[in-house]
Amino acid sequence: MARLRKCDPVDVVVIGAGFGGAAFCKRLSERAPARRIVCLERGGWVDAATMPAYGSDWQRAVLGAWATSPNMRLSAGRASASADYPVDDSDSAFKPLMWNGVGGSTITWAAHFPRLHPSDFRTRTLDAIGDDWPFGYFELERYYDMNDAEVGVSGLSGDPAYPAKPPRTMPPLPLGRLGITAARGFDRLSWHWWPVDAAVNSIAHGGRAACNHCGPCLIGCATRAKSSVDCTYWPKAIANGVELRTQAIAVHIEIEAGRAKAVVYRAADGRDYVQPADFVVVAGNGIGTARLLLASEVASPALGRNLMYHPVAYARGMFAEELDGPVGPVGCAIYSHEFYETDERRGFKRGVHLQVTRENALLLQALRLDPAWGRDAQRLLREEFGRSIAVVVMAEDLPEPKNRVTLTDRIEADGLPGVRIEYSLSTHGRKSLDFGLDRAEEMLRAAVSHRVVRLPLAPMTGWHLLGTARMGADPWQSVTDAHGRCHSVENLIVADGSLFPTVGAVNPGSTIGALALKIADDLAREIA
Amino acid sequence: MTAGYKSPQFLRAVVDTLLPGETAKPSGRAALPSGSAAGLDPATYAKVARSALEAIVDAAGGASAFVRAAEADRIAVLRDVERKLPVPFRTLLAPVLADYYESRAVIAAFGWRAEPPQPRGHPLPPADEETHRRLDRVRQRGKLWRG
Repeated sequence: MARLRKCDPVDVVVIGAGFGGAAFCKRLSERAPARRIVCLERGGWVDAATMPAYGSDWQRAVLGAWATSPNMRLSAGRASASADYPVDDSDSAFKPLMWNGVGGSTITWAAHFPRLHPSDFRTRTLDAIGDDWPFGYFELERYYDMNDAEVGVSGLSGDPAYPAKPPRTMPPLPLGRLGITAARGFDRLSWHWWPVDAAVNSIAHGGRAACNHCGPCLIGCATRAKSSVDCTYWPKAIANGVELRTQAIAVHIEIEAGRAKAVVYRAADGRDYVQPADFVVVAGNGIGTARLLLASEVASPALGRNLMYHPVAYARGMFAEELDGPVGPVGCAIYSHEFYETDERRGFKRGVHLQVTRENALLLQALRLDPAWGRDAQRLLREEFGRSIAVVVMAEDLPEPKNRVTLTDRIEADGLPGVRIEYSLSTHGRKSLDFGLDRAEEMLRAAVSHRVVRLPLAPMTGWHLLGTARMGADPWQSVTDAHGRCHSVENLIVADGSLFPTVGAVNPGSTIGALALKIADDLAREIA
Repeated sequence: MTAGYKSPQFLRAVVDTLLPGETAKPSGRAALPSGSAAGLDPATYAKVARSALEAIVDAAGGASAFVRAAEADRIAVLRDVERKLPVPFRTLLAPVLADYYESRAVIAAFGWRAEPPQPRGHPLPPADEETHRRLDRVRQRGKLWRG
């Protein structure tokens, strides 16, 4: 410990500069302007000029420095702007995907930006399954609205699948031939569909350009038309006085007598520092947060448990006519919540999200085939390229203690214990996906697809890392209270998707941002 | 026995078994070229995927035997190696596919443009009037959410 260099104490130290950390810092810094806030981020800023979309070898970026999986980036052995750590996923049905740097996974997300439904906050009360959140949709609603305004949302008002939302900041993204074709299929079945809420500029907004539909959102948005928190929340938080220290890896939280005292972190100079603070806030995603809290010996029987991803499957329909090809924001076309709410006649509770996605680049389409080589693969690729629609079926993941994050016995290069995940698909998840696949195929057929293929489980979809430090009233069943404060360490706060008691069946970004804003307000009421 | 993994004929046979291209020309499009015809340099794969290539030589009973084998037999050998050694096989396959699907000839054969996504981006058609009318029908259904 003698080698630790002590920093000047601050009021709040935040760990992680992704969506949760960014929204938290921006909000707290405006609500409590006199407080000194420092954020420690293990990675650095990403320079948009280094993103691959301007180069002729942009497709292969997904095999190396811009792979979606941190394990793939590490094993590719090429320098990546993401400051990754390995995750032992050998016992998990899904592979964890994330970006480690300023902006977190919003750097490489698809920016599909749905909210949870009101029923998602009350699954125990309504459906006798999962758990209720400690607060409801309408208590979070003002933070959803606030988050929408900060991020900038393209979309269309009037969606009957949700309570009324304020007018969207920008008009919806163009549907393209793909979206129009899928809309025809939903319409023929008289099913709900709607243009997605997208955290992508459909027109110039917030000092950022309009999307020019270049396609590969998952290798970073070179024009910054896609909203990521490094270019939305962070400039404002820094202008408010938040100090963001990059290449600063938090390795331990010092806890004494039930209070967090400081964060030990390793800086870019290779030295270890100790940062004392009155409050420690962790926002490192459902794996990173659990890893740090476990490594810091935070006492909680629920810590690391109830890991949820959202199980995903695909149905892909082939069409005779030309569609768009790999054009437009890949996750942002249209969606259907016809089957989102519980109907027990289906044989399972809760529902599924059907998301019409856009086509991938040639190489990614080819790599997805099994086998990816040979005459048949080339024939299939010829048939589907520019003429296929993939419908993502996303199921509600239920909290199960056996699905969890644990530590390994080894110390990794970043100075923290190694991390392992265990996750298996439940019977509920399988039933949900199968039902959703049937409906997706029905829609594709109605849209006059001549052939539909299914991927019953898509393992490379583990973006949504949720539930491992869940909120609740019972310290045996939850890690934090309704304000994100750890039951066993009252000045240790979580502000990311780890807090979700349940996860609905939609992408969590919108809810992570809204929740972090609420957690910041909760703290500001005490310290402002 | 595996020394032949560097032989140009063997490497070309591997690449062209992985990516045979199309013999018939689809309407309005050029036929997909084979891997070697697309300009891939097979020698580069000997440097990055030695263990997979050596396994292919072993499974085929020699590099020359693989070159002489019928396509169905070459496919069977590659499938066997892919099944037994998935990670080394992927080390071979990934750069082969990347080189192929990034080549201008192949992209053009798919009717796509070879220049990168930026700075030009792509046009994307907005919703038409009929699609807007479909949305009106959805709106008229009223509340779908539960509280």
